[in-house]
Amino acid sequence: MIYSSELIKGTLKTIVLKLLTDNKKMYGYEITQKVKELTLDRIQITEGALYPTLHALEAEGLVTIKTEFIGKRVRKYYSLSRAGKTKAKEKLNELSNFMETMISLLDIKPKTI
Amino acid sequence: MYRISDQQVDFILADIKKHGIRIESLQQNLLDHICIIIEQNLEQHDDFEKFYREIIKTFYKEELKEIEEEAIFLVKSKGPFLLLSRLQFFLLLFITFIGPYITYDLVWFFNEGHGSVLPVEVWSGTMVFATFPLLVLLVLYFTPEKLDPLIPRKSKILLGIRPFIKIIPPTEKYASYQQ
Repeated sequence: MIYSSELIKGTLKTIVLKLLTDNKKMYGYEITQKVKELTLDRIQITEGALYPTLHALEAEGLVTIKTEFIGKRVRKYYSLSRAGKTKAKEKLNELSNFMETMISLLDIKPKTI
Repeated sequence: MYRISDQQVDFILADIKKHGIRIESLQQNLLDHICIIIEQNLEQHDDFEKFYREIIKTFYKEELKEIEEEAIFLVKSKGPFLLLSRLQFFLLLFITFIGPYITYDLVWFFNEGHGSVLPVEVWSGTMVFATFPLLVLLVLYFTPEKLDPLIPRKSKILLGIRPFIKIIPPTEKYASYQQ
């Protein structure tokens, strides 16, 4: 099952922040592949959603960037800033609480995968 | 593995720019992303340009510049905001520009009693100061085709601190702000 883009959109920032918490530095393509791998292809982040999110995180000062030249092109590696690390914790707590509330609200029975 | 040449890198970058991506950071990210896909999936004998045209289509729904619009929208639309429909926005303008005159007339009328007639300086003041904004609002509201893209039909209007006001055409993404 591939989840709808509406569901992913609301959690994309948290997903990116969490991945950057666990991995010291990542570039865009790597993030999309890591998410596919960790979710067994059930979540596929599109380029159209990922790069605006990374751009917004950069503008908010939540990530820092290091660039590396691959031939003629530039690869941008993203890492969490100090503010980003704090924000990642906040967003994870928020999402965790939200999921608990939704499970309770929708009366979802936990199932084993 | 396919090895992408400098000329091909230049070609992709020029195409990204041509299709409305002006932010350098986004250009670099998209260029690298596309190059990786090409290097991992293209065979030496395959048609580079044809393959590129196919993969770039998977990056957007209608146009590539959607990515930049979304990026700008996410950055600019921080803080408290109000997302209004076109009708709500015009009602707000009506209340702001016409409301005070009507309110003044009504207050005057109720203060003076039902039998009294509005003096000429009151109603003529209302006519002079309210008619022009009212006409502008009516023209804007009922002729969006002629004045498009000023406030297009089915557009949304974002009111906030950053930006103060933004007209969002129907194609632009605002779904994340409706949560």
